[in-house]
Amino acid sequence: MITFSLVPSTSTLRLAKIKEFLALFELECSEDVESFVVAKEDAKIIACGGIAGKVLKDIAIDGLYQGKHLALKLMSELLHVAYEAGRQELFLFTKPCYVEVFEDCGFKYITQAAKTIALMENHQNLEPYCKSLRALRVKGNKIGSLVVNCNPFTLGHLHLVKSACATCDWVHLFVVKEDASYFPYVTRLALIREGLEGIKNLTIHEGSDYIISKATFPTYFIKDKRKIDSLFTELDLNLFRNHLAPQLGITHRFVGEEPLCVVTHEYNQQMKKCLAQVGVMPSIEVVEIKRIYHANEPISASRVRKAMQDGDIELISHLVPSSTLYAIQNILKKQEK
Amino acid sequence: MQQNIIPSHAGTLESSDLFVRILPKKEGGVSIELESSVCEIYADAIKKTVLECANAFGADGMSIIVQDKGALDYVIKARVQTALLRAFGMNELDWSVL
Repeated sequence: MITFSLVPSTSTLRLAKIKEFLALFELECSEDVESFVVAKEDAKIIACGGIAGKVLKDIAIDGLYQGKHLALKLMSELLHVAYEAGRQELFLFTKPCYVEVFEDCGFKYITQAAKTIALMENHQNLEPYCKSLRALRVKGNKIGSLVVNCNPFTLGHLHLVKSACATCDWVHLFVVKEDASYFPYVTRLALIREGLEGIKNLTIHEGSDYIISKATFPTYFIKDKRKIDSLFTELDLNLFRNHLAPQLGITHRFVGEEPLCVVTHEYNQQMKKCLAQVGVMPSIEVVEIKRIYHANEPISASRVRKAMQDGDIELISHLVPSSTLYAIQNILKKQEK
Repeated sequence: MQQNIIPSHAGTLESSDLFVRILPKKEGGVSIELESSVCEIYADAIKKTVLECANAFGADGMSIIVQDKGALDYVIKARVQTALLRAFGMNELDWSVL
């Protein structure tokens, strides 16, 4: 008899068993998984699948049971748990060779990285999103793009965007939407809008699930900086290049040169390789903009956050525009109370 | 009539069964998205059955997403009705509607 159960990732003992099982498939148990649906027969794990927010991942089935419709049973259970939790719009990670299995469960293929990982979704939001981008297309020879988190918006970001706008006919700026940073999305977006007011050849786009989100790039949000997954980097970049950039006719992507943060540095290096490749879609040139410095150290958002912890308002005032400074002062005041 | 529709689902993805999801949508009417292993032959018949169930409930402003694995007519009806009952938050059955 096959029985299904739900294992929260907080249950250490049972999670260890799942990790052992996943290791058989060269799958590493993702840190952000909240719970696993586990199928057992005779007290032995024969299949499992994890849920992390609106992403289904770490799905594996014992080789002996493959082809016996266990996948469909497992997916029925997983979907049931996800929908009951109110997560209607789901993404899913799998190996490209299993895409067909999940197509049978109502998922649609989006993109993949190498032969190792494929991203799928159970709704059709990518097409409408692309269409909404198409409506914002601006004509020009050199169309720049930037994807920023701005946690928070600094003079460095201002310099980066201004440099891009100075050399392009038009620039599209995308703001990372995921609320996984110290500053919430709404605040980050507001500070970006305030800080960039007056620049004429710029569109500020609200973020989406398709640009550096937990769906396209989960490792971006994992704090442990040593765990950089080049696969997810590639996944995110493929999606940008093949689906989003063509809608806006993007020819260039601008990034800040990154001396401090390992994740961003790796991302920049890989971006150059990935976007420049010749393929079906036109290639995109990556331009690295030199950082600006204050007191011999590059200006960065992480430096601002550090200064906030130290309560060093004087330093912060040299790193951020007045709008951000005002917001930070308000936050610090609230904390004092 | 303004109906409050709760996102709901019923069924499984196993063979001879179907997985039905109901989601509210802003525009009026009922839209049906169907994927079926027997689509070529029975797509119209399945859609008709689904729509009949929805109409019996006076459903409006919802999309019904069906993943069919070759379910028989009465299975389709039962699953769709269950999903509809859940979508309307109905605990008591009105047998005259079913």
